[in-house]
Amino acid sequence: MEKLLDSVMDIGEQMLINGGEVHKVEDSIKRIFSAYGTKRTDVFIITSSIVVTIHTDDKAYTQTRRITETSTDYEKLHKLNELSRSICKNKYSDNEIRKQLTAISMSKKYPLWLEFICYAIIAGVFTLFFGGGTIEAAVSFIIGALVRFVILLCDKTVKNKIFSKFVSAFIATSLAFIALRLDFIETVDKVIIGNIMTLIPGIGLTTALKDLLVGDSIAGLLRTIEACITALAIAAGYFAVAFITGGAI
Amino acid sequence: MTSSELIQIAAGLIGSLCFGILFNMRGKRLIAAAVGGLLSWGLFVVLSNFVSSEPINYFIVAAVVSLYSEIMARALKTPAAPVVTTSLIPLIPGGSLYYTMASAFESNFTTFLEKAVSTLKLACALALGIIVVTAISQFMFSRVKQK
Repeated sequence: MEKLLDSVMDIGEQMLINGGEVHKVEDSIKRIFSAYGTKRTDVFIITSSIVVTIHTDDKAYTQTRRITETSTDYEKLHKLNELSRSICKNKYSDNEIRKQLTAISMSKKYPLWLEFICYAIIAGVFTLFFGGGTIEAAVSFIIGALVRFVILLCDKTVKNKIFSKFVSAFIATSLAFIALRLDFIETVDKVIIGNIMTLIPGIGLTTALKDLLVGDSIAGLLRTIEACITALAIAAGYFAVAFITGGAI
Repeated sequence: MTSSELIQIAAGLIGSLCFGILFNMRGKRLIAAAVGGLLSWGLFVVLSNFVSSEPINYFIVAAVVSLYSEIMARALKTPAAPVVTTSLIPLIPGGSLYYTMASAFESNFTTFLEKAVSTLKLACALALGIIVVTAISQFMFSRVKQK
């Protein structure tokens, strides 16, 4: 039972890391244990921690997991979800679960260059979306790819998400300003907005509000604060450039 | 539909597609999310002829797109949340966040408050739209299962 708990905790942990919702993960863990016929399962999850206690006839087992970083990977989330369903159906042994988990952790990712292109396209396309012209979109496209590069550098060195957002926003705004000075573009706002779309915690805020309204108050509050701080970091990056250039933006 | 609206709708599709790739969505799930992006802004443009209030329009679009995502999720046997969040990318109020920041920098507090409140309203409308549909569909689904 202890080994089983260990494997199931890993499933929950991976679900949270890859972008699963709090109540969904709680639900999955409860379902799995009820399939194995435990007497009672207590699950407590917030975005950064999981606590599970299962009660069998003569004993109770508890484990916790601390989640420090998240990176959204919906392919893994999809597979984890499939795994947790088939566990409920087939009641795998813990070795089998372990094997499947390793297989999931090896699942494919898109190549890095494609991420660069996606950042560039998102920035360019949303510049058009918010009413920018073709040249502005082209400038935004190039800045978008550079922003991905900045994020890569930050991930390799400081490993602080908030700081990396700040630096990205700073670089994006400065580059937009340089493009303005070189007379490539006439206004910077559309270019900056396009690049903000790649950095913005929009999904974070929506998930936060969703958590709050569904009743996961603590998880919701944590996510709200996280989203607000990220938004502030982006704003700070913008302000830093605005101050340096004397508000000429 | 004007040409700028068509550009916006196309941008919605491409934006959702690219975010889907960033979130490592694959195959049919990626296509479902991209089509959701197209649907969400297309619907917004159509509805804005009839609905004058932006938050209410956001709420309706979020609800319809959530319904679409719930259906897609059942069909593709996958959680609904990834499809919803990626489909609704074009509705993320990035522009109004920017203008909130810009007005704060210019110490223009009337505009700042106005923009901040409208950003928050839009985010709330989005979340509410999703929740209403998610809650109803969970309820319906569990009822069907019990029978």
